[in-house]
Amino acid sequence: MSLFSRFMDGWRKYRKPGYYDEFDYHWTMTVDLDSCTGCEACMTACQAENNIPLVGEEELAKGREIQWIRIERYWEGEYPNAKLNFLPMMCQHCDAAPCETVCPVSATYHNQDGLNTQIYNRCVGTRSCAVYCPYEVRYFNYYNHHWDSPLDQQLNPDVSIRGKGVMEKCTFCIQRIREAKDLAKDDGRRRVRDGEVQPACVQSCPTKALIFGDRKDTESQVYQSMNNPRAYKVLDELNTDSSVVYLKKVDA
Amino acid sequence: MPKIDRREFIKLVGAGGVGAGAGFMLRESKKDPTEYLIPYVVAPEDFSSGIATWYNSVCSMCSTGCGISVRTREGRAKKIEGNPSHPVNQGRLCGMGQAGLQVLYNPDRITEPLVQAGDRGSMSFEQITWENGLDQLAGRLELLRAARRGNKVSFLTAGVNGHLAQLIESFMRQLGSNRLLHYDFDHPHTLYAANQKFFGQDHLPYYDLQNTNLLLSFGADYLTNWISPVHHSIGFGTSRQRQAETRGRFVQIEPRMSASGAAADEWIAAIPGTEGILALGMANHIVSQGNYQGADRADWLAALSDYSPSQVAEQTGIPERTITRLADEFTETQPSLAIGGGGAANHSNSVDTLVAVNVLNYLAGNVGSEGGLLFNPVPAGTVSRPHQASYRNMLELTEAAHQGEIDVLIINGTNPVFTLPAAAEFREALAEIPLVVSTSSFFDETTVLADLILPSNSYLESWGDHFPEAGVGFPVGAVSQPVVSPLYNTRATGDIILGLANKIGMSSTIPWTSMEECIKAGWRRIYERGDRQTLAQGFDEFWTALLKAGVWGETTNGSTAFTPDQSVIAGVSVAAPEFSGSEQDYPFILHPYLSANFHDGRGANLPWMQERPDPMTSVVYGSWVEINPTTAVELGLIEGDLVDIESPQGQVRAPVFVYPAIMPNVIAMPIGQGHSEYGRYAKDRGANPLEILSPQMEQITGNLATSATRVRIVATGSHIDLVKTSGTSRDLGRNIVQTTGSEGHEVSDVRLNSIPITELT
Amino acid sequence: MKISIVPALRVLKPAAILVLVAFFGLGVGYWSNATFSSDTSPEQPIAFSHQIHAGENEIPCQYCHTQASRSPSAGVPSVSKCIGCHNEIATERPQIRLLMSYWENREPIPWIKVHDLPDFVHFTHKRHVLAEIECQTCHGAVETMDRIRLARRDIDGTVQHDQTWEMRLCLGCHRENEVENGTDCWTCHK
Repeated sequence: MSLFSRFMDGWRKYRKPGYYDEFDYHWTMTVDLDSCTGCEACMTACQAENNIPLVGEEELAKGREIQWIRIERYWEGEYPNAKLNFLPMMCQHCDAAPCETVCPVSATYHNQDGLNTQIYNRCVGTRSCAVYCPYEVRYFNYYNHHWDSPLDQQLNPDVSIRGKGVMEKCTFCIQRIREAKDLAKDDGRRRVRDGEVQPACVQSCPTKALIFGDRKDTESQVYQSMNNPRAYKVLDELNTDSSVVYLKKVDA
Repeated sequence: MPKIDRREFIKLVGAGGVGAGAGFMLRESKKDPTEYLIPYVVAPEDFSSGIATWYNSVCSMCSTGCGISVRTREGRAKKIEGNPSHPVNQGRLCGMGQAGLQVLYNPDRITEPLVQAGDRGSMSFEQITWENGLDQLAGRLELLRAARRGNKVSFLTAGVNGHLAQLIESFMRQLGSNRLLHYDFDHPHTLYAANQKFFGQDHLPYYDLQNTNLLLSFGADYLTNWISPVHHSIGFGTSRQRQAETRGRFVQIEPRMSASGAAADEWIAAIPGTEGILALGMANHIVSQGNYQGADRADWLAALSDYSPSQVAEQTGIPERTITRLADEFTETQPSLAIGGGGAANHSNSVDTLVAVNVLNYLAGNVGSEGGLLFNPVPAGTVSRPHQASYRNMLELTEAAHQGEIDVLIINGTNPVFTLPAAAEFREALAEIPLVVSTSSFFDETTVLADLILPSNSYLESWGDHFPEAGVGFPVGAVSQPVVSPLYNTRATGDIILGLANKIGMSSTIPWTSMEECIKAGWRRIYERGDRQTLAQGFDEFWTALLKAGVWGETTNGSTAFTPDQSVIAGVSVAAPEFSGSEQDYPFILHPYLSANFHDGRGANLPWMQERPDPMTSVVYGSWVEINPTTAVELGLIEGDLVDIESPQGQVRAPVFVYPAIMPNVIAMPIGQGHSEYGRYAKDRGANPLEILSPQMEQITGNLATSATRVRIVATGSHIDLVKTSGTSRDLGRNIVQTTGSEGHEVSDVRLNSIPITELT
Repeated sequence: MKISIVPALRVLKPAAILVLVAFFGLGVGYWSNATFSSDTSPEQPIAFSHQIHAGENEIPCQYCHTQASRSPSAGVPSVSKCIGCHNEIATERPQIRLLMSYWENREPIPWIKVHDLPDFVHFTHKRHVLAEIECQTCHGAVETMDRIRLARRDIDGTVQHDQTWEMRLCLGCHRENEVENGTDCWTCHK
């Protein structure tokens, strides 16, 4: 196939139903809202794993936080019947992602594993993707960030340091997925087994509210927990076809 | 050839030279900066570049002792995760534990031994050598020991465990001193005393949250910081993830909703300090309704006669029907479990309150059964408990200092100037002590007042071991090993003690030259009590296997049988809580709570913890005071208004946060900010509520009653914009967090077991 | 009134000459840097010759670069590796004496990196070595180099020197050999 035909073929199929069926993996995460206690261990794990910079008080006051996974708080009711619900929110890796359509340089696109990618060195910083994202999970680097030495000794060499003018967001710890695939290849296996790769947040969650895996593997934990009657997707009415499935909190 | 005069010539040459230089630099600027490939001089055996090496160790960020696995690359620590094999945390780890990397790599670490050259507190420290520093201290100790004045030496340490605890004990004994104190602000003194009083046991039982079907928590924020929060979180998760019929139910009773309160199915606000009375009200109902049919029923009826639900309702502010409903639920749901902590465990009546909680467990049949309260066997190693100093003990120390009875104070890993209320006058007591020595890694409020600083390694650079006091139902121990070489000219606390012991001539009783040796010797004794299979493999193999697994355990259980004797039953009662300050002058009750990010203040110098939003309020980089919405309206306060919180002891200033789930006459403040020292991230940020606490104690233990201080709110007229990350905190009908009733469908069919971490090499 | 710029220009003439000379100097400076101070074949602290070791003596690459089949980074041999042979071999040569002085002082040799990829690229030697791709493919005919010189083999097979690696070369090979997910950005960009 010529380059042009290949391009047209891909364009025709891209983001249509069934596009991902022929590929190896379809990474999915489940978040059990009934188990999440809002402890934010996931936030610190993500920060350590992905070289998330410290934005500082001033920038936070402007709303420029960088939290690839964050815990949202929703209060219900009034005293003495007030209730607080936590919602872990990270990039939903939508199969029909609004952010992918708007990037003028294609720095974000959907890869064959069902992940919404973000390529830092291609990004020119128009920030339109952040505007389009209904979940507000895209974060922009307004400044070159700095780590007071020797805090920089802790930085993870498997993850780039993002410079000024670049968007970043949750990657489902692509560096861990890459490593797991590498090890699987070493073993002669062609497939990563369920539970072998866990993003930092999933690995650290004390209540095991987060589960990660490949939904194409019908034996996987994530597949089974997706097919729970409590399953729903946040802002599903926007038809973003997200890869993060939430399990409703039980009001008992 | 044109005629050029000398001046012209020089100008031309100069121009040419400048041009050449500029051209050279231009070309140079187009090159990438030189990068070097630095090889090893001798290739290390245990790691290769590009591949991670994992080391197992023990977390020291709080006293729980979760097992950790640390990922290192090329000799640098990159990520701390839970050790999947450790039964306490099973591969999971809280955020503060993960932030231990920022203790290791903190820019404000003390890197060399220092001596105060100027006045105490003037921060004019000068560097000295270890020899010099150790000699100075050893010399002083030796003099005292020789003159049989060893008791003038006091050692004040954070709670330590395992062979380090044993070493310090031995050292102090050799010195001839009995002034060894472990001081942890959050030590559950009243819980231990209550267990001693009711069960006759001096170590904590195992609270089996994982298998319980109803947890009734009287103030204990078990998911954040009570006893063993990660273990409890695992239990909570497991309990929630069972089938719908057996999905665990959680009820939280506290005046201010904590994270555990948010996770609970029901949050009930009881007047602070009356939680024990509530428990006895429930107990009364259980016995009088015939839901308890033990042989000693008559004794119980007599003991609980003053605690009928109607009487209790008045005292606690909780409706009678709620009390009886809870009591019925507690006996009907099996197994059930009641725990007590937080404000309920830090009041004037807390020992009795926690006895009352134990009573509930006993009457409902939870003692010694799965899903309830199980007795732990005696810990396999030395624990901190016997030396833990209550507030009263700390006052005794300050009194001794004033009497001139303390000549040398060695402080290790604890910051009493920050965590003790101003009323304790600890800072003033220090002034009466001629030599104050600190092993701290940071210039915290206590360390800046030291005369001599012998800085210790961080826990990630040290050998040690830990026997979790919280227990898991069977004996467990773990070895902590260095995951990186020490970054600076610091030494492990144990090595400092060994160095001193050597200089003072204690080598016959303290023979080891290094902490590694000491730990290994100690574990050899544990190895020797193993079964035949263990002994057959030889100690070296045992030791390697121990380090590789990161944890050791034995299959002994604690006892299960228990019957309280008559005198104990007869003594069950809870007095009304006592507060300081009159209600008229001080209309609000201050509820200070250990914050998720900073715990008792220790985490404030970690930038990750400063930047991480508080779980309940999402405030970052600051302090706040939580006020009920109705109260806020009455006082004319909005979020961000700066107010002074005044107690009979003093005042602190903080911005208001309107908090939906707190009693109208209670205000709450997180503990942890308000440092006046402690490094660039912590210094001069926020307010410390501990400062203004009244010196009220629970009488049996001498524990500080942190929930017994009354305060008033004084508006200052100033306002700041509170920095938070949460946007709209209401769903606004967008159905973002969806909830469902539990009837009619399966909650989950999947047993979510511990997933092992990927093996990388 | 006639205004002539010629007198003004005449005044500027000396300045103009200076500027011209300066630009000439710029060119000379630029050229001399480019020619004599190479960043594609920098002078190394010890004049280690791959031609002698890998060429003449046919020492396999992975004898020294041990991690190539196990790690993303091929690894640079430790000083002790060199000493392993050079404790006995060619000890009188000045470069070996220089090596010994590093060893005696227990100092690592600060090699200058020639083959370098940007930090945002994840390149793993392991997968490529295990895929039986010759080292020479990306590093050029190292066994003929007295001093390491930046080299690359283009898609058409020709070897080019002194030109930095380009992404199209990775992609070309990945496409040609139909590498699994080889054209997905996230395979290499981290």
